[in-house]
Amino acid sequence: MNALFAPGFFTNGIVHSALIVGAVVAVVAAVVGTFTVLRAQSFAGHALGEVGATGGSAAILAGTNPLWGFIGIAVVAAAAIELLGVRQPRSRDLATGLVLGAGLGLAALFLYLGTTSQSTTGASITVLFGSLFVVSMQMVPSIVTLSIVALAIVVVCYRRLLLTSLNPDLAAARGVSLRPVSALYLLALAIAVSLSAETIGAVLSTALLVGPPAAALRLTKRPIAALVAAAGIGVLATWLGILLAYDSYTWPPSGRGWPVSFFIVVFVFCFYLLAQLRGRKVTRG
Amino acid sequence: MRTAKRPEIRPVALVAVLLAAIGLLGASAPMASAHARRAAQPIAIVAAENQYGNVARQVGGAAVRVTSIEDNPNTDPHTFEVSARVAQQIAGARLVIENGLGYDSFVSKIEQAAPSRARKTIVVQRLLHLAPSTPNPHLWYRPDAMPALAKALAGALAGIEPAKAATFQRRAARFIASLGPWKAALAAIKRRFGGSGVAVTEPVGNYLLRAAGLKVKTPFSLQTAVMNGLDPSPQDVAIEEALFSRHEVKVFVYNVQVTDSLTAQFLADAAHAHIPVVGVYETMPIPGFTYQSWMLAETRALERALADHRSTSSL
Repeated sequence: MNALFAPGFFTNGIVHSALIVGAVVAVVAAVVGTFTVLRAQSFAGHALGEVGATGGSAAILAGTNPLWGFIGIAVVAAAAIELLGVRQPRSRDLATGLVLGAGLGLAALFLYLGTTSQSTTGASITVLFGSLFVVSMQMVPSIVTLSIVALAIVVVCYRRLLLTSLNPDLAAARGVSLRPVSALYLLALAIAVSLSAETIGAVLSTALLVGPPAAALRLTKRPIAALVAAAGIGVLATWLGILLAYDSYTWPPSGRGWPVSFFIVVFVFCFYLLAQLRGRKVTRG
Repeated sequence: MRTAKRPEIRPVALVAVLLAAIGLLGASAPMASAHARRAAQPIAIVAAENQYGNVARQVGGAAVRVTSIEDNPNTDPHTFEVSARVAQQIAGARLVIENGLGYDSFVSKIEQAAPSRARKTIVVQRLLHLAPSTPNPHLWYRPDAMPALAKALAGALAGIEPAKAATFQRRAARFIASLGPWKAALAAIKRRFGGSGVAVTEPVGNYLLRAAGLKVKTPFSLQTAVMNGLDPSPQDVAIEEALFSRHEVKVFVYNVQVTDSLTAQFLADAAHAHIPVVGVYETMPIPGFTYQSWMLAETRALERALADHRSTSSL
């Protein structure tokens, strides 16, 4: 038992809140992320996550929790994507890439100002790579509320979201208007990306967003089953990541544990590879 | 191409003007300081941290002009980034004082970039004969650090200005003698409270705590994690919290210059367990302090916490 769960795993307050926050965020990211994958908007999700670094570092400079910065910039960026309506992949990628570069440049400035004018030593690592072990208990109500908002959007718009995701032409033919659904979906995406940026960092947030859904969609094509599988894979990867990060306390080199974000991302990737192998067998059989 | 020629030129001109403005802003400050230095006669000393600068000023008196690089008590010196101005100050100095142990490695980098035979460097780590692997770099909290620095300064300044050698020696001796009250305060704590447990966030004040006979019970891995801005492991945080809840420590000493949500949490835990807290500084708080009065104030704050359970969050 001790070999699997290092001593104190079940009594440690930090681990408890990490398990809870990690599970909530993994579910939201997986559910929203499933539509991100179906709509082939992974790059938008990635861009929203990375540009979140700008907001997160600005929030640290302003002395508030990075989550508010992540969410603020992600909502603004999502609105910009929607309003500009850059639909053609080529111009979209170019515009996103340029805005992303400028955003990260601003993040570099904010982090520089933050660490040279205030006592925020670990700001860069917190914003870029995050850690579930430092999400403070005060943030839990906000995280849960935001999660409920994102999930509610998906539940309320489920049918239209699915239709517009799988077959936009058919949706248009049936008179389902694309705009409001797409706008609401982008809001849910902004929230999901911000939440996963808060837990595993701005740079890594896409892993939690598109990794589990991509794996789930290899295993099943039925939407509900895919949503459930994606949520399950996301939670499992997060919990296993927390467990290994806790166990790594005694690992070399420094004897103080490896970063939890690293383990989560590794597990997400492993699950994707496994699903890929299994998915291939299924199609062959 | 849809774009006509005119709208293309305008942004370019705008960007050029912007860049020029930034360049002017950046260039004006170092130019002014270089001009001032040429006009002044005293020996130019650059201290990486202002506590070393303060000692240099006390030993050198009117014969020196001291510039301290780290003098903002609201920032964390570990994350300092070099500006062109600092590089110029170091390159133009006759004497440079640095801590060593990687704490201010930017100084040696600049010195290597601008080598000069006329410039001497005093590294406090070497004065104290410490191995480069010494884990705690906050050497100025050691009672033997500044006496060694004062002597080295007197010697180095005498080398630059031999006529004033006796003055420098006298001033160094006076400085060393003025550390008496601080050492007495440390000895008093050791007599009354020697062996008591203390919790910390970082190793900042550990040398002082050790000199006062106190035992730091916080895992060193937690201290280095906080010092280097990394996330501490949940195990270490649990150990630290248990130190408070089980009353294994009499004081919680935290670094005022590095405060994050974790420090706030530990402060709340300490308050909950009615354990007094003492804030320590990584660079000398200014204004109103000399090195001696700063160390004495920190030690008195520690004594108040141990004897009267009174907290001192800032000096």
